[in-house]
Amino acid sequence: MSKAKANPGLAYEDTPPLSAPLRFFLTAPLFGICAGLVLIFGDDVLSSRWTPGALAVVHLFAAGFMLQVMVGALQQILPVVAGARFPAPMSIAAISHVLLLLGASGLAGGFALGVVDALIGGAVLLVTGISVFLVAGLISLLRSPSLKTNSHAPRDLRLALVGLGVTAVLGLILALTLGAGLSLPLPLPTVVDMHAAWGWLGWGGTLLAATSWVVVPMFQITPGYPARFTRWWAPGVLAGLVLWSLAHALETKVTGMVLGVALVAVFAAFALLTLHLQSRTRRSTPDAPFRAFRGAMGAMLAGLLALSINLVHDADHWSVLAGVLILHGGFGGAISSMLYKIVPFLAWLHLTQAGVRAPNMKKLLPDTPVRQQLRLHLAVLLALVLAVFVSALGPLAGMLMVLEFGWLLFNLVRVLHAWKSAREADEPLRARPS
Amino acid sequence: MSTIAELMTHDHRACDHDFARAETLAAKADWSGAAEALDAFARALNAHFDAEEQHLFPAFEAATGMTHGPTHVMRAEHRDMRDALERLQAALRAQDGDDFAGEAETLLIMMQQHNMKEENMLYPMCEAHLARVQDELCTLLSQALAAEHTA
Repeated sequence: MSKAKANPGLAYEDTPPLSAPLRFFLTAPLFGICAGLVLIFGDDVLSSRWTPGALAVVHLFAAGFMLQVMVGALQQILPVVAGARFPAPMSIAAISHVLLLLGASGLAGGFALGVVDALIGGAVLLVTGISVFLVAGLISLLRSPSLKTNSHAPRDLRLALVGLGVTAVLGLILALTLGAGLSLPLPLPTVVDMHAAWGWLGWGGTLLAATSWVVVPMFQITPGYPARFTRWWAPGVLAGLVLWSLAHALETKVTGMVLGVALVAVFAAFALLTLHLQSRTRRSTPDAPFRAFRGAMGAMLAGLLALSINLVHDADHWSVLAGVLILHGGFGGAISSMLYKIVPFLAWLHLTQAGVRAPNMKKLLPDTPVRQQLRLHLAVLLALVLAVFVSALGPLAGMLMVLEFGWLLFNLVRVLHAWKSAREADEPLRARPS
Repeated sequence: MSTIAELMTHDHRACDHDFARAETLAAKADWSGAAEALDAFARALNAHFDAEEQHLFPAFEAATGMTHGPTHVMRAEHRDMRDALERLQAALRAQDGDDFAGEAETLLIMMQQHNMKEENMLYPMCEAHLARVQDELCTLLSQALAAEHTA
């Protein structure tokens, strides 16, 4: 290893400016608000996964809320965990942010309103934004030193990026099929299933797992995940997805179903193991984000059950229920609880690095509004689950969802205000001649 | 003989357990118990920092010639964490439960993001550069950690 390469992203100056990740975190809840609005104003949105409203909500959630937070957080975590330094981090953040923002909005708008040009334009912008991020990520990872570590998180973060790439390509193909009459060699629903499976497991699930390998034992002070489990989990999922996709493409139904069940079981094993480790935390005072993370794992498991039923009994409500539980309950809960740790810490870190006396994390963001917002998250999940079976409840679930994400945004903006006040309070002190 | 990464990572976890004990007792408002546990944590944390600053980092700097590289950053973060520990101790002396919980949360996240950098980057880099003296260095580090834990 050369000396130039031996100095990975450990320097303070390598921490990207606060605005680089923060812009993603602040615009992410807007997509949740829009998803709520679609539920309020759409017709029977949750009656099937194929309704224009359902397609819009899923993409507002997955390609909007989730993707924004995940891309923002990766720009922060890749330097720390994998020693990857993004080239021109501010430009990459600015360009990918705008492209993802416009892309997800166009795509969801195209679905909701049936505007084909918006659908294609949105998909192209989204895929371009993802490509900018992936190419920058690839360059940074190629430049990072290859070190032998006992942790599988750096490798699995890379695998999640592969999952994101595959999901994006399949999504673009689907948009061109729907909008521009591209003819597919496979039935459309087959490709839709592949797109969804790669997005859910190859990208979201693998990223959540790779993050959990680090976050759960270290921040929640639990025993570590068994090394044998983390060594095989993500490569196993990726291999399983490839085989399942092939089986699906070749229309070998039984093999496809067996592999589908295996993938569900592997993800369930991750959720169960995480719950088990968390039950052995040494921290005696589980706070609201910790409980929300456990709740998210529970929702994932319930979602997997619905998905398993859907494998053998193809009624519309099972797939919608699985989507609600996995996307809103699982990823939504886990992401909200992580945001409540990441944003105050970043504010604290940047104040401290600027030599400002930083208020502690609970002063930057008190427990009470966090606890209340996370309780509302659970209420929204319950309303969504009921709305799958009683469609008249859809608009109510939508209204609650608008409140949920509005409140999340409000809580994050609170941190920003506390950060600004701390800087302003410190200025007269620093202006004083020493 | 364990490797540098195994030894130091194990000590990170030992520090975490001391931290969790102090946090648990403070949450129960058992201030005398919390004071004792926090003392044990402070000793463990300082022993860890001292072992790195006096043995591991100089060896890395000598082997690589980098004095303004990762070890420089790690020393700066040690300073930040020593400051955060002082604020935690002040909250404990004031028996202010809310302040203690906030300072504890802040120190924990600071500490863990620092540990992530060391465990994923710095320790593997040390092992790559210090392979020839690894056994000797591990003995020194173990002694430093053990001696100061019981001091």
